[in-house]
Formats: sequence, C-alpha cells, structure tokens
Amino acid sequence: MKGKVSLLVAIVLLLSTLVVPAMAEGDPVKIGVIAPMSGSLATYGESTTNGIKLAIDEINAAGGVLGGRELQVISYMDDKGDSTEGANAFNKLVADGAKAIIGSVTSGVTMGLATLADSEGMLLLTATATADTVTDGVHGVFRACFRDSFQGEVGAKLAVKLGVKKVAILYASGDTYSAGLYEAFKAAAANLGLEIVAVESSSSTSDTDYTTQLTNIVASGAELIFAPYYYDSIGPYIVPQARAAGFTGYFAGADGWDGTQNTMVEDKSLYNNCFFTNHYAPDDPSDLVQGFVTKYTETFGAASLTALAALGYDAAYMLKAAIEAAGSDDTAAIIDAMYGISFAGVTGTFTLDESGTPQKAAPVIEYVDGVAKFYSYV
Amino acid sequence: MDGLTLFIQQIINGLRVGSVYALIALGYTMVYGIIRLINFAHGDFIMVGAYALFFTVPLMIAAGMPAWMAVFVAIIVCAITGVLVEKLAYRPVRAKGTNMSALITAIAMSLFLENLAQTLFGASPKQVKTIFDLPMIFGFSGNTFLTIAIGVVVMVGHSLFVKYTKAGQAMRAVSEDKSASKLMGINVNGIIALTFAIGSGLAAIASLMYVAQYNQVTNMMGSMLGLKAFVAAVLGGIGIIPGAMLGGLVIGIVESLSKAYIAPLTGGLITSAFSDAIVFSILIVVLLVKPAGIMGKNIGEKV
Repeated sequence: MKGKVSLLVAIVLLLSTLVVPAMAEGDPVKIGVIAPMSGSLATYGESTTNGIKLAIDEINAAGGVLGGRELQVISYMDDKGDSTEGANAFNKLVADGAKAIIGSVTSGVTMGLATLADSEGMLLLTATATADTVTDGVHGVFRACFRDSFQGEVGAKLAVKLGVKKVAILYASGDTYSAGLYEAFKAAAANLGLEIVAVESSSSTSDTDYTTQLTNIVASGAELIFAPYYYDSIGPYIVPQARAAGFTGYFAGADGWDGTQNTMVEDKSLYNNCFFTNHYAPDDPSDLVQGFVTKYTETFGAASLTALAALGYDAAYMLKAAIEAAGSDDTAAIIDAMYGISFAGVTGTFTLDESGTPQKAAPVIEYVDGVAKFYSYV
Repeated sequence: MDGLTLFIQQIINGLRVGSVYALIALGYTMVYGIIRLINFAHGDFIMVGAYALFFTVPLMIAAGMPAWMAVFVAIIVCAITGVLVEKLAYRPVRAKGTNMSALITAIAMSLFLENLAQTLFGASPKQVKTIFDLPMIFGFSGNTFLTIAIGVVVMVGHSLFVKYTKAGQAMRAVSEDKSASKLMGINVNGIIALTFAIGSGLAAIASLMYVAQYNQVTNMMGSMLGLKAFVAAVLGGIGIIPGAMLGGLVIGIVESLSKAYIAPLTGGLITSAFSDAIVFSILIVVLLVKPAGIMGKNIGEKV
C-alpha cells in the first residue's frame, strides 16, 4: 500500500514537470544558426555562436519571446566556410521549420545564403558579414555589423573630431578591403570639408617599406594619415616608419588594426595618437558592455571574446526584438518588423536602414603607450 | 620642405632599402660567380638568419651583451644551413643533372625552407627586439648608413679574400674551370662548400641589418627580398661582386623614386603601387639591352 502511494506521488510529480511548462509557454519559436564550426575559420564561428548561445540562454531564462514562448535553436549548422555547405545547411534548416536564420559569419558564404533567403522568403540575419554588397538587392536580409566602407566615413568623422584640416591617405591598391575603405574615406572627407593633401599607395598590404610614401606625406604637411591596413603591417612597419620619417600627427585606421598591440616595436610611445574603429570596445564602461563581457567570460572564458562574439550576441537580441515587434512567429511579419527597427546593444545603438544594415556609431579605440583604450563613439 | 630636400630624402630612403638589397645580392652573386648556380633559396637563408636572431637577441640582452652580437650565432646557423643544403640537395644534383635541374632544386629548397619555418615557428609574424640604438643622422636612421658601411666592408673584404688568400685563389680557379682545378689538386667540393658557407654567412649579416630596420620576422619574408636582390645582382652583372652592391643601391633608389614621383609624373595614371612592376621591368630591359649587367663584360659563349 505504502509502495503504491509513493509510486502514485512519483507519477503525479513526473507528469507535472512535463505538463506545467508546456501549458505556460506554448510552442517554441524555432530558429536556425549557420556558422563555420570547423576548418580554418572555426575560431570565427566559435566566437559568433558563443555570443548567440549566451543571448538565447538569457532570453529564455527571462521568459522567452511572445509572452513566454521559448526561442529554440533547431541546430547550429556548420558551413565550414564553404558556400555549398552553407546552402545545404540553409535548406536543412528551412525543411526543419526555422522561422528565421542567423548566419553566416563570412561575407562569401553569406552572399550565397542571401540570394537563397530572398527566393525562399526566409529571414536571414548575419552578425558579422561586412562586405558592402551583402544586403544589397535582396529582401529579408539583415546584419548586426556595419559595412566595410562605413569605417571610411567614420575615419573622416574622426579626423573632424580631432580638429585636423589636412589629411593624407596611405592604402594598398591591390587589396579590396583597403581600396574600398580608401574610396569611402575620400568621399566622406570631401563632404566634411577636409583637405586631402596626399594620396599614397602600396601594391599590397604585405609590403615592408613605406618610407618613401610616408616621406611624401610628411612633405605634404598632413596632420592625420588614414591607413586602412592590417595589424601585421601597421605595428612593425607603417607607424614606426612614419615616426622615423618625422610624422608627429594622428593615425586613423579600421578594424584591420585590431591586434596591433601584439606586433608593435618596443617603443610603445610611437603608437600614441593612433586611433582605429572596431565593432565594440571591451572597456566601454557602459553597463550593457560590461555585463556582456562579465557573463561571456564566466561562461566561455576570455580567449574567444572578440568583436564577433559581441555581434553574435547582438544579432540574437535583434531577432528577439523583431519577433516581439511583429507580435507573431510568422516569418514575413518578422521581416517587416526588422526593417527600420531600432536597437540598443553591446555593439552600439542603431537603426536598420532600408537595405537592412545598421546605421550606427562605431567605437573608436586609441592606443595609449601600447594599450588599446576606448576613446569614444564617432 | 622644398622640392630638392624632398628629392634628397627620397634618394636616402632608396639607399635605405637598397643597402639591404645590396647585402643580399652580394651573397647571391658570390655563389653564382663560383658555381654558376642561381641559388633561389638565398632569400630564405635571410629568413633562417632572421629567426636565429629572433631567438638569440633576447639571450644576448639577458646575458648583458650587445644585441648585435647575436649575429655571430646567426652566421653559424646560416653557414650550417647553407652547407647542409649544398651537401644534401645541390651536390647530388650537380653530379648527375644539368644546370636546369640544379635551378629547379634551388626553387624546391626555397619552398621547403619556407614551409619548414611555418611548421616550426607558425605563420604569425614574430617581433625582434631593437638591435641598434643609433642616433638619427641628418634626420634619418643611422641604420641606413651602417648597412651601407657594412656592405662596403663586406665587398672590400671579399675582394681581398678572393684575390690574396689561397682559398680565394682556389675559388677563382673553380669558377674558371672545375675539371682543370681538380687536376691542379683543388678540392672542388670543399671549395664549393666554403663558398656556400661564406655566402650564407653574408645572408646572416644581411638579416641582421634587415631585422634592425624592420623588426619583424615571418616565414615568407625571404621570397620577395630574394627576388629583388636577384634583380639587383643581374642588374649589376651577376657574378661580379661590386656589381651586386651597385645593383642593390640602384634598385633601391629606382624603387623609392618611382614610388615618390611616378604618380605626379603620369598624372595619377600609374601610382606608387606599381613600383615593384617597375623594378622587375628593369630586369627585362637589362636582359634585352645589356645581358651581362652594368659591370659585366660580354663574353662569347664557349662552344
């Protein structure tokens, strides 16, 4: 008898755990994630999906979406950084009933997915694909990051903020990223009334000697050099050679500069007055950023905490905001809600423009004796 | 800054780059002069020397010695690498194959060294500590002047060595006629090994001056440097020691001046990004107009 009672109690308890949440929350809202999880880009995928996971866990712990429904990731699909794999992953997620897809990480794969999303009427939100054309000419494709050329505009605004009038540009004409930023900077500088006193170029971003170009720039009397290069030439070559050629003014760069602190020569004071734009500033004192940094580090450790993680985190919250604004889990309704949405996240406060790209202020980072410090939003 | 000052500065910038090319070209041309082999792996010996410096400079500083003393370790490492490469790759090919197969072996050694370095040290660039703390001279780094000075010393030293020592005479004999030298009792393989040891040691000195100027080491650093130095050696007259020095400085100055003035001269049609193309087109022009190089003598092919 005693045994039967306890069995009955156990069954009731078991049933209650099954029934109660379902009654309170309704059906989960299913979404999919695509990222490179293996291959040479695996670290990018890891950071991005960690950011997404952190945000989804937080959202569900706080009661999910649409009045208590769980935001459920069907699966994290691996595209291996390959367009075909990406397309397969996309089709699988659509077949499994995803209402929206967050992905992918690289611009190449994402551009392929964008065309698919457009024809399938699927919502595609990429956290990190920065190539200018990713969201052009396709419906229902959005991103959490700014586009590459935007950093050229920010560079020009930064020059104005620093109070300079004469600017020079040093760029790599054979590199798409560098040349794209140069065009954007040139156009924005003209609009903002800056005088471009010198334009110098190298054939690639892997040159080792820029002294000749920098001597010309010094002779032109420029107060700021816009140099869209990567950390492996900025640290050892461009900045020290400019200082040796007698340049005492400012440097402005873009997200390719991230990591320069590891390639600097010994005299760190050479890098004072060097600024670059990035997607987020880990030492931004705002509660939102510091909360993210603390939670991410507790969950995944500090090693994978990059701008990509912050963008993944923001992408998941953007999707949540769009679902809430749509008031339903219908994909078309979420797409409509996403256009023009305003959002405050770790990577800035912004509104999506008609192409689906954020219009946001970029955090500017400054090197102070070799340490990257948050300067301000520009 | 007026035009003339700027022009002089750009010449000095050219000398800065050219002095490094010249030092590398010296090693190139010396090996060619003795065994008629264009050692395409020579640029990668620079890389080997640079990695040796990357590891030994901190040890020297820790031991309280001047950082540049690390070059002696680098010279030994490079000389051993050079002799090994000669023994294991070039000598067997020389015994069996033609000049063409030796050339292809040299390219293979170059790729092998680059990939070996990537496996051993990784693909990310390494930072070398400051080696010389030289004062600025006329507003320019003392490194440039030191590099040129070392180049001249090496050039003169090498000329004296080849002219007045027994080993030097043997080298000249081997370069004239290998089989006759053998008959005269010269250890031809030993002399060739010595040539490689000296040539690679020169590469180590060039890496010291390169690293002193550019501070960064990567596994691929030797490929472009080697090509430019090769053009310099051909321009000066390959196999002719002073020609390599001259060729290196000329290439450096051409590179600098083309970067500085090509854009204004062509109205922006050709930009400074084309400077490498200009440097390499010099090679084509030299080969067409004066195949023996600036300091070379035209000698009819022996049939």
